[in-house]
Amino acid sequence: MLHKKLLGLATLAVATVAIAACSEQLEGGAACPLLCTNQPITLLDTTIDAVVVDTTVLGLPPIGSEAFMMLASHGDTLDARAIIRFDTLPGSYTKSGVDSTIVNIDTAQLVAPIVKPDSAHRPKAPITIEAYNVDTTGADTIAAVLGSLFRPGRLIGSKTFAPESLTDTLRIPISTDTVLDRVKSGARLRVGLRLVSSVGYNMQLGTVQSGSNAQLRIVASKDTAARPVLVSPLSTTPTDASFLADQLSDYSIVVRGATSTPAGLLGVGGVPSRRVYFRLSIPSHIVDSTSIVRASLLLTQMPNRRLNPKDSIFVFPSPIVAAPLVTDIKTALQFLGGAAEVGLDSLKLAPADSGVRSFEIVGLVRRWRLMDTTLSPRTLALRAGTEGQAPQEINFFSSRAGNAVRPRLRLTYAPQTSTGLP
Amino acid sequence: MTSLRSTGASLVRARGLTIAALLVGSAASARAQSNLSIQGFGFPTGQFSARTQGTGGALAESDPLTPINPAAIGAFQNRVLFFQLEPEFRSVKTPAGSEHTSTARYPVILGALPLGSHFVVGLSSSTFLDRTSTTSFLTRQILTGTDTVPMTTTYQIAGAMNDNRLALAWAPYQWLRVGAGAHAITGHNLIDITQTFADTIVFSSFNQKTIIGFSGGAASLGLQLVSKYASVAASARWGGSLRASVGDTVLGRANVPDEFGASFSILAIPNSSISVRTAHENWSVIRGLGTPGLVGVDGWDSSVGADIAGPRITNRTIFLRAGARKRTLPFQAAGATVRERSFSGGLGTTFANGRVMADVAAIRALRDADIAASERAWTLSFGVSVRP
Repeated sequence: MLHKKLLGLATLAVATVAIAACSEQLEGGAACPLLCTNQPITLLDTTIDAVVVDTTVLGLPPIGSEAFMMLASHGDTLDARAIIRFDTLPGSYTKSGVDSTIVNIDTAQLVAPIVKPDSAHRPKAPITIEAYNVDTTGADTIAAVLGSLFRPGRLIGSKTFAPESLTDTLRIPISTDTVLDRVKSGARLRVGLRLVSSVGYNMQLGTVQSGSNAQLRIVASKDTAARPVLVSPLSTTPTDASFLADQLSDYSIVVRGATSTPAGLLGVGGVPSRRVYFRLSIPSHIVDSTSIVRASLLLTQMPNRRLNPKDSIFVFPSPIVAAPLVTDIKTALQFLGGAAEVGLDSLKLAPADSGVRSFEIVGLVRRWRLMDTTLSPRTLALRAGTEGQAPQEINFFSSRAGNAVRPRLRLTYAPQTSTGLP
Repeated sequence: MTSLRSTGASLVRARGLTIAALLVGSAASARAQSNLSIQGFGFPTGQFSARTQGTGGALAESDPLTPINPAAIGAFQNRVLFFQLEPEFRSVKTPAGSEHTSTARYPVILGALPLGSHFVVGLSSSTFLDRTSTTSFLTRQILTGTDTVPMTTTYQIAGAMNDNRLALAWAPYQWLRVGAGAHAITGHNLIDITQTFADTIVFSSFNQKTIIGFSGGAASLGLQLVSKYASVAASARWGGSLRASVGDTVLGRANVPDEFGASFSILAIPNSSISVRTAHENWSVIRGLGTPGLVGVDGWDSSVGADIAGPRITNRTIFLRAGARKRTLPFQAAGATVRERSFSGGLGTTFANGRVMADVAAIRALRDADIAASERAWTLSFGVSVRP
């Protein structure tokens, strides 16, 4: 009996050890390099003039598609204003659950979310936001036309803000008579905002595009039971292109200070905002036959001290996802993929800085592997993170600049030479 | 893998689904790590059954469960299926420190079927060279004059060369068995190289996978002379061509190593044997299969051991085994020949009225070379044979 139990226990022990033995501890390497016959694959490094086309395209993103509107006043250097369209105004309000026709307006207020300035971006002096009636039958997106409408006779409200009073929302009183007149007549109200300051300043207003748009707040009765009416921006023109009408619900215009990028340079950001287009040519024997581990687009930054020279912005390399049949560069630049989708990272740059900047685009270059250039053009864009929202412009030397400063592509790659044989 | 599958398929047609399924399963070798024993195309497990492992290998020429001598299967009087599990726990010591790793192998699967009263046919798959290993190491590469990058390289190699044998034994008399075997050397090495970088923003890791397939052939002959008091056994394998390829591209050609071995056993004690065996294998012929730096070492494999009928427990005879072995491993490490000494012990018994036989062995291996590295290993071997 004892023997039988012992045999059973021994069998159980053997079975347990056998099952436990199936687990493995694989990782080794402490004995390297002595016992390691396998060597690391040698990386090769080369820098080539890969940029065959580079150009700056102004006016991107298109009017009305910026996430935030730029409202800026930098004296003669820059004057940027914001336009908000309320093309449909309600004729009634609710009091004690009952709809009533608006026959009087107690208060009218423009409630505009802004990007809350941190301590480094607070104005150095009080600022005034002026609101104008900019409704016109003329060309209603032309800066020169709209700029002329910002005159005293059209002023419908203003408010001065102390620097420390700027939080995340501006509340600007609007003329109740003007609003009531528009409500009663069923006409549209288009408000132009202008920043006035004794020192240069710029701020960012929320838009319909970002979901943080301004609203017109109308209180039609002193009765506390009367609910305020909140009106969101809406544009009914152009009537033949609803897509454009949506974008024009709110947008910014540059009345003064629009610039172009000098020849020989590339510009990102700025006023009006701009993007850079690159077309690269990379030897197929590298793209297709090796494993690229680093691809750095090397750009030499040229200082730009025009506006906010030390105020850094992010510059993003972005893949262009437009189909190859889109040959117009400006159109192609409107179809940008997410930088994170291909592992592209941004650089934070100040306009006044200089030196070589390295944009890491290995994730994008790897996607070109075994893809014909006619199907997958080797193109990418550079854009500013605050394009259309802030005036900073980052400049780089273009391929037409001198040999020492023109764009280059640095590639680090592993040739596929290991057969795996010992 | 493709060549292995095709081999497996032909076996299915020839010998039935069960054995073929077992053969295909055995090809999926377990994993190991880079160390003294796994150099070149890998570690030779010896193709020994758990019973033979318990005697240090001394029974290899006469044990029918060990697919070395094709004449040995002539001892089977019934259908048999055999499966083996063999984990190994290693410790590698170098000036850089010690490292403990473990791996599991399934080195032998065998099936045999008597044909009449004088013939036995057997089909087996055994691990010939197990290269499975995982090695990670950190290096710093200079890209340009001042630009360096630290990177971690991981080589994960999975797979083995397997020896698939179809054997036929003839036992015209009780004292004589002869046999012949046809061997197909198949299998693959999956080479997975990954290089990663600490700076994941600037650098992107890469991975390269290669599958090296092996195909080759060999033939073997064996003989056993058995008397009441002693037995003599000998076998020889003649290697045919062996090639390594990736897809349709042949990377290297060589020959399967020749091997011959002989053993002498004393059978004076009932149900017991005391054996001595030696074998020689010319691994140097395999060098053409690898890179020019690959050095195969011809070597002897000698052992002495005993398989003794021990105490009876609950009407079962417990077999006690012990042995010692000395051999040269087939591939050099850092230019030095690797030698292995091992000591083993084991047990065996039967269950289910003798229909199931279980063997357990423990092997302590000491592996050394004339370099500042040594390896110690415990190997456990579990074998189960079933008479359906």
